[in-house]
Amino acid sequence: MISPAESRQQILDSIRSATESVALSGTKLADAYAALPRAYNHRGKLSSEAVLALMTERLREYGAEVVECKPEELTATIAAQLAASGKHIFAAPHGLPAAWFIPGFDWRVDYNLTIQEIEATEGVVTASSAGIADSGTIALHHSQAEGRRILSLLPDWHLCILYASQVVESLPEYFSRVPQPPRLATWISGPSATADIEMTRIKGVHGPRFLHVILVRDERKPEAVTERSSQANNL
Amino acid sequence: MTQPAPNHVVLDPRFAPPFPEGALNVLRNPQLRKNVAHAIDVIQSKRGKLVAEKTDWQELRTAASALRAHVLENLDTYLEEFEARCTAAGGQVHWAADARQARQIILGLLRQEGAREVIKIKTMTSGEIQLNPFLEAHGIKTYETDLAEIILQLGDEEPSHIVVPALHVNRAQVREIFARRMGLEHLSDDPQALTAAARTYLRQKFLTIPTAISGANFLVAETGAVAVVESEGNGRMCLTLPRAMITLAGIEKVLPRFDDLEVMLQLLARSATGERMNPYTSLWTGITPGDGPQRFHVVLLDNGRSAMLRRPVERQTLKCIRCAACMNACPVYRQTGGHAYGSVYPGPIGAILTPQLMHLHHAQTLPYASSLCGACYEVCPVKINIPQVLLELRSQVTNQERHQVARFLDPMYLGLRVANLLFARAWRFHLAQRLGRIGIRLFTRKDGWIHSLPGIGGKWTQTRDLRGFPRQTFHEWWAARDKEAK
Repeated sequence: MISPAESRQQILDSIRSATESVALSGTKLADAYAALPRAYNHRGKLSSEAVLALMTERLREYGAEVVECKPEELTATIAAQLAASGKHIFAAPHGLPAAWFIPGFDWRVDYNLTIQEIEATEGVVTASSAGIADSGTIALHHSQAEGRRILSLLPDWHLCILYASQVVESLPEYFSRVPQPPRLATWISGPSATADIEMTRIKGVHGPRFLHVILVRDERKPEAVTERSSQANNL
Repeated sequence: MTQPAPNHVVLDPRFAPPFPEGALNVLRNPQLRKNVAHAIDVIQSKRGKLVAEKTDWQELRTAASALRAHVLENLDTYLEEFEARCTAAGGQVHWAADARQARQIILGLLRQEGAREVIKIKTMTSGEIQLNPFLEAHGIKTYETDLAEIILQLGDEEPSHIVVPALHVNRAQVREIFARRMGLEHLSDDPQALTAAARTYLRQKFLTIPTAISGANFLVAETGAVAVVESEGNGRMCLTLPRAMITLAGIEKVLPRFDDLEVMLQLLARSATGERMNPYTSLWTGITPGDGPQRFHVVLLDNGRSAMLRRPVERQTLKCIRCAACMNACPVYRQTGGHAYGSVYPGPIGAILTPQLMHLHHAQTLPYASSLCGACYEVCPVKINIPQVLLELRSQVTNQERHQVARFLDPMYLGLRVANLLFARAWRFHLAQRLGRIGIRLFTRKDGWIHSLPGIGGKWTQTRDLRGFPRQTFHEWWAARDKEAK
């Protein structure tokens, strides 16, 4: 058997000899990439109200619970959701805003919680990075307020706080808004599910079975969506 | 690798029976056909609705097709960029020229980890290189974690579809497998209960087994990130709980930039499962201190792929993003199910991919497992012209076979040689027509139809009748008409 270093060279040589008549390099490659057809919809067509309504509708179709509130009602809304869950022990990322730690519950803040400690919680509260209405998707980039990936996975109940200003209509709008590619991302579209047995949709296989979303009606500034320049993108 | 026992479905193209033979097993099993048809009907109707609501579907397909073609034409550059970024982010990239080397690399990495057990996210590529039996033979226990894959693993079944691999197994059969293998006598056949049983069965494995193997849906050259799409959360478990992670990916899986996911993710779930988006998509870049595995390896697998890049027709095959829309749309797959294809890649994409991965040394009957109706091309989110590739492969198979001594007396090639001889000169053709008319009269019934022919002709008349020859050919009629006119 050839060595791994040799196989690297062998594969690359094989690719190069196969593609030599079509392969480009340097600026020609960048130009060819830039010239690729992208005639699909880059901008949404809906009003901001309609985008929020669509986000809510899609989340509910997935079986997620959605409640709306004004920014000043957020703490009370979180408290109500926690109380209604019937659960008591909650995991939380260490960067979660202090006001969201509702007193009266058993909070397990993630300063390196062990797997067993996370597994012992009944629910988790996190922030989020974006909402994509078209597919009802919530994007987590695992910042300090969103927590490690494992934190929003093991608990059976996930309360996610999403601001109206974070919600976009379509996936391309989301990508154009992301300032730089996240190192980690989890795109969640409804609770864990399977249809592997006779195509019957069953909620809750391994991830949280219950996804609750608080949609906070902050000012949806018609934010100058900053297109990432291809310059900045060129690593 | 030993030859599998008879009566067991064989998904190794080197040992699998030819397609027509494999197909017969399914055609004789009404339960299996019912299961397959039901699953496909459900996916197809969901997909249809979601594609219809997407007003820019064709523009997305065009973008995805051009993007994937661009990647394949410049694959070396993008792979090297991916390798550099992934390495800079703390990952280790390994290159495997073939299946054997990939298995050895993975075994070596697992031994380095001291692993006796490994949890796996569904990956068809691992099936392609027959990884599980190899690891088991070397004392490493593999645990599949996707529900469908658990059903197959515990039931000693083989996958028959690339997205819903156990679609040929119904709930009663799942119940029987789980009851037997999990020791749950009183399990009901309610999918909810069956799913719950799988959750319980796997929970401890997730929490305790420190090494995982995954496939990859996409590799991002710009950042060195890997993306995996899934539904159940078993993927997220495998990606975050273990200490070490090994990702096996075909070399064609790379995309130039992070933003390119906006095209692929809009197409993939809609095409695959008829969802606007699959429940979970995970993206990770090398290793992240404090979050997830702290040792991360990517094994890039060639295994026949680079050879497919040579010519544009075959190259298209590698644009595939494994959504399975082609098999869901295929009238042949619908009747035969996946096992007939003798490969982990069934359906139209399998019919073009498998023979090429085998360098046309095996699976030569697969390019014929199609009516060339074009449904696969129409639904393909990356616009692979599958019928075109099928025809190209058929011509390659024919060119290969017709020079083989063993095929010299093969009725088809014999027939074609005779036809070649007869069609070469007009007088030979006319003579053959006359003799043929006399000969065929022996088999023509009074109603003017031929109901059965002997020998190879019987293959045609087995399922259809043939018109007897007319008394006059067009030529003869025309000549006679001319004479009369004079």
